Amino acid sequence: MRRLQATILAECMKLHRSKILWITILFFAFIPFMMSLMFFIQKHPELAAKLGMIGTKATIIRLGKADWSSYLGFLTQVMAAVGLIGFGFVTSWVFGREFADHTLKDILALPVKRSFIVISKFILVTFWCVLLILVFWLFGFIFGKIIDISGWTNDIIIEYSITYAQTSLLTILLCTPIAFLASYGRGYLLPMGFVILTLLMANFTGLVGLGPYFPWAIPGLLSVPDGTEGLQLVFVSYLILAFTSISGYAATVVWWRFADQK
Amino acid sequence: MNDIIRTENLTKHYGDVHAVSDLSINVRKGEIYGFLGLNGAGKTTTIRMLLGMIRPTSGTAFIKGIKVYADNTELWKSIGSLVEIPYSYPELTVRENLEIIRRLRFLPDKSSIDQIIDQLQLGPYTNRKAKNLSLGNAQRLGLAKALIHHPEILVLDEPTNGLDPAGIFEIREMLSDLAINHGVSIFISSHILGEISRFATRIGIIHQGKLIQEVNTNDLDKLSRKRLLINSNNINAASLILSQKGFTVNETNDGFLEIKDEEAITRPDRIATLLVNASCPPTLLQVEEEDLETYFLRTIEMSGGVK
Repeated sequence: MRRLQATILAECMKLHRSKILWITILFFAFIPFMMSLMFFIQKHPELAAKLGMIGTKATIIRLGKADWSSYLGFLTQVMAAVGLIGFGFVTSWVFGREFADHTLKDILALPVKRSFIVISKFILVTFWCVLLILVFWLFGFIFGKIIDISGWTNDIIIEYSITYAQTSLLTILLCTPIAFLASYGRGYLLPMGFVILTLLMANFTGLVGLGPYFPWAIPGLLSVPDGTEGLQLVFVSYLILAFTSISGYAATVVWWRFADQK
Repeated sequence: MNDIIRTENLTKHYGDVHAVSDLSINVRKGEIYGFLGLNGAGKTTTIRMLLGMIRPTSGTAFIKGIKVYADNTELWKSIGSLVEIPYSYPELTVRENLEIIRRLRFLPDKSSIDQIIDQLQLGPYTNRKAKNLSLGNAQRLGLAKALIHHPEILVLDEPTNGLDPAGIFEIREMLSDLAINHGVSIFISSHILGEISRFATRIGIIHQGKLIQEVNTNDLDKLSRKRLLINSNNINAASLILSQKGFTVNETNDGFLEIKDEEAITRPDRIATLLVNASCPPTLLQVEEEDLETYFLRTIEMSGGVK
């Protein structure tokens, strides 16, 4: 336990002076601002013409009624996509930086098991992503309150908060293959390319009705209203997601332990 | 067993590329073993195999009699290493980088950081970010990370790269002191024989992945070639006289005569007598010893040439 504590602390030290943490927090605070702006325009259609592109976008996207139910549902949907990119970026950075900064060789011949280093990195990624999830939801509420969205009830808030938490946490589980790719690709390029590919594929599989069987589409489908044809999650969906996550974790640990570090 | 580091037919192939082939070496306690080779000779691959970073295709490496493998965490407690160009976390200061290593090495004594900072003369840069260090100071930081836990064994890959002459001297003295006075065994790679011969006790020369020669530094003198250079006002006559006396005489590019015969090298006075008696007195007689780099390149050429 003492050893794991030491590796976690070391990982935190590596992060604490980095600007990346603050950039991701800003990014996850900015997205709800944009979403709330869309809803504000929805509430005030007369502003659409004055706001040019943003106004047009807000008019084109059907956001539903400008109430808390639609707003939180929309934020959850957006989180499923933004989470894929944001959490993928975080994971790529935590694992890929050792290669990009050429510091890996300094942490391999130490009296600490490599698996502890990998676990510590995953713990850091989880805490970081949870922080971003909270930032996103908190700023969503703040901006929602500022633009005075109607229809606030505790039941709606609790219901959507639960769905949001489930969606976000399932998205975190999908970080493990990204960690493997950052290690295998020895940097950021391969994992970030993969993240973009998964985002495209998630949209495509959703369109053709295969979303419930594509791991990276599954978190987003959690918030799809019941009865939507072809987009309902089934038990196998959760198995696929769990398998993907466990495989990614195992591959990362095995890679760190056995691959040649040239 | 006196061998601190031992390899038995250590081999690493990447497809058709034979990075290291059948390498068998041993480093004894308190010895400084210089591992010499050109760039791409297989030095770093060997060092990475010794540190468990690369799995050998065949053969085995032992440190303190224990087989080397990646997660042998007990083994790494007694080893300090520096592999190729030392990099550190760029956004962190010198002290923070050392603090990370202190934690990962489970060193309870926080003053170990100050001690190593003093030892490597990094004091003025303690709070400077690693990305703002000069190459020489980055190298010192790399050495500080390797030495912070007072290791019994040091595995160093070209540790004086980037250091100025004063820095090279200082590191050389420090490593000699560690080996002589503290019994630290040091395996150090380099591509400069002149540099490594000044403090290594034994030298292994690797070329194209193979160990081609192992020599005690004290014996280097005996192995390097010598020649006698001769000049005279009548160089052709001098050449003829010496040839008639059975010497093999060559003419150098500079227009001097060159004799490599043992007799001429050990007794140049006889050559002088010969030439004077034949009314062709020498204007220059000089026994010249090949320098270490020439010896190194010649040794490599004999085993297949420089590629």
